[in-house]
Amino acid sequence: MDVLSIQGMSKNFGGVSAVSDFSMIQKEREITGIIGPNGAGKTTVFNLVTGVYPLDSGRIFFYGKEITGWPCHRITALGITRTFQNIRLFRNLNVLDNLRVAYGVKTRYTLWEEMIRYPRVTRQEREAEALAKEYLRYLGLEGYSQAFPYNLPYGLQRRLELARALMAHPRLLLLDEPGAGLNPREIRELMETLLKIQEEKRISMIIVEHHMELVMNICKTIHVLNFGKKIAEGTPEEIQRNQQVLQAYLGDQI
Amino acid sequence: MTFYVKVLEIACLFTILVLGAYLMTGLTGLFSLGQGGFVSIGAYTAAIAYLHLHIPFPIAILMAVLMGALIGFLIGIPTLRLHRDYFLLVTFGFGEMVRAALLHLAQLTGGALGIAGIPQLVGLPMILISIVLITLFIANLKRSRFGRNCIAIRDDELAASLMGIHVYGHKMKVFVLSSAITSYGGALYAFLIMFIEPNLFNWLESAKLIIITFVGGVNSITGAIATSIIYYSFGEFFRFVDVWRDVLLALAVLFVTLFRPKGLFGGWEFSLSRLFSKREER
Repeated sequence: MDVLSIQGMSKNFGGVSAVSDFSMIQKEREITGIIGPNGAGKTTVFNLVTGVYPLDSGRIFFYGKEITGWPCHRITALGITRTFQNIRLFRNLNVLDNLRVAYGVKTRYTLWEEMIRYPRVTRQEREAEALAKEYLRYLGLEGYSQAFPYNLPYGLQRRLELARALMAHPRLLLLDEPGAGLNPREIRELMETLLKIQEEKRISMIIVEHHMELVMNICKTIHVLNFGKKIAEGTPEEIQRNQQVLQAYLGDQI
Repeated sequence: MTFYVKVLEIACLFTILVLGAYLMTGLTGLFSLGQGGFVSIGAYTAAIAYLHLHIPFPIAILMAVLMGALIGFLIGIPTLRLHRDYFLLVTFGFGEMVRAALLHLAQLTGGALGIAGIPQLVGLPMILISIVLITLFIANLKRSRFGRNCIAIRDDELAASLMGIHVYGHKMKVFVLSSAITSYGGALYAFLIMFIEPNLFNWLESAKLIIITFVGGVNSITGAIATSIIYYSFGEFFRFVDVWRDVLLALAVLFVTLFRPKGLFGGWEFSLSRLFSKREER
């Protein structure tokens, strides 16, 4: 079954068409890339899928279930989580608690039980902590659990965002420029990490990215956006040869 | 001796109100200038229920709490969708509206004359028990999902909702809980001071609750309580400095915001278990 199916999605911001008639299908356990010049509407696609903005037209299905118009928190609870282009961690929560916030969708206890610290609360909190530590180890962040996110180096903040997204147990992960601001070595590490996650956690991923090396190496399908419209779709090899794509990136040949 | 007991009673009573404000402004970042409205609602509900309707004292208190929660819920429906400064303005309006309503509903509330002749049924033991229980509840909330969600919402609403938090619903829980605590404080006030009037808690008093929360440190319940106790008892001991009290407070706030922007206590929390475990290590 298709993980995500977007049909004719459009969004205008005051007359500017940010995304127009965008369609795509995400297959199980694949990594898909969305590329395009700055302002092409890539991040808007993520914002529309995760419910940040309402759609002007079009429909979105997640495992066959229509999620068009759903609020963000319900979409997350259903299994789509994302990271952000400009890192958005919770600055007043330590690393461990940043992860535990994301686990909230899986936590089952009531406000009243929390107030009196009912045994069930303690037990689930311990579970969440163990799981969070596991994910921190998984992404090489062990030893930072008590640190505050914005005291970490930039590369680790990016990894922390990834860890937090995984903590919500997504079936589909949307990564908004995960490689932004990383050096070449960190980019290679990121690539390995993403492939490892895809393999071990059986998660499908959509990546918006500018680093062509990253996208071309790990994505099976690539969609190219320009001015909100999809101008090409295909395997990395096809995209690299596509005339329209070259034009969009490099301008017209004289 | 009675003087010190009185001072402690008042300081602890206001600390209950600070705890209500802490939950809302400190943890969740909702700036409300309408806390005074809920103090009045609690105080008047309890007093009217007890004096006019002859309802037993414990049930009158319970009614005050429920009334606060209900009105908090009703006010929350439209206002919690608003952003920071707009929320502040609307809650400010709400507080003043309650004051005006109490003045004009003279048949029920006694208008500007207030309600006198409330028996003193609340003493230091009850206030101390209340403050311990409320502190315990809030501390428990702070260290589990509820508190984490509050801080996440305060830090970044969008990221919070994308991490699966129902932001509006969560704010509603916070608002109702805070209103209930504040109304409870108001009800205790009525039966401690024995006299209430519409101006008992204006928006300046509400603002003080927020200031105390910030001076103590928004991430520390310990900070809120300690600062509150110091502030409200300080006033009684330094009556001779008179109007300079507010100047001193303003200076204190200024220095704290300049030199300790995270508040006097930062994120530090008092912890019994840590106290004991350290002793074992030695």
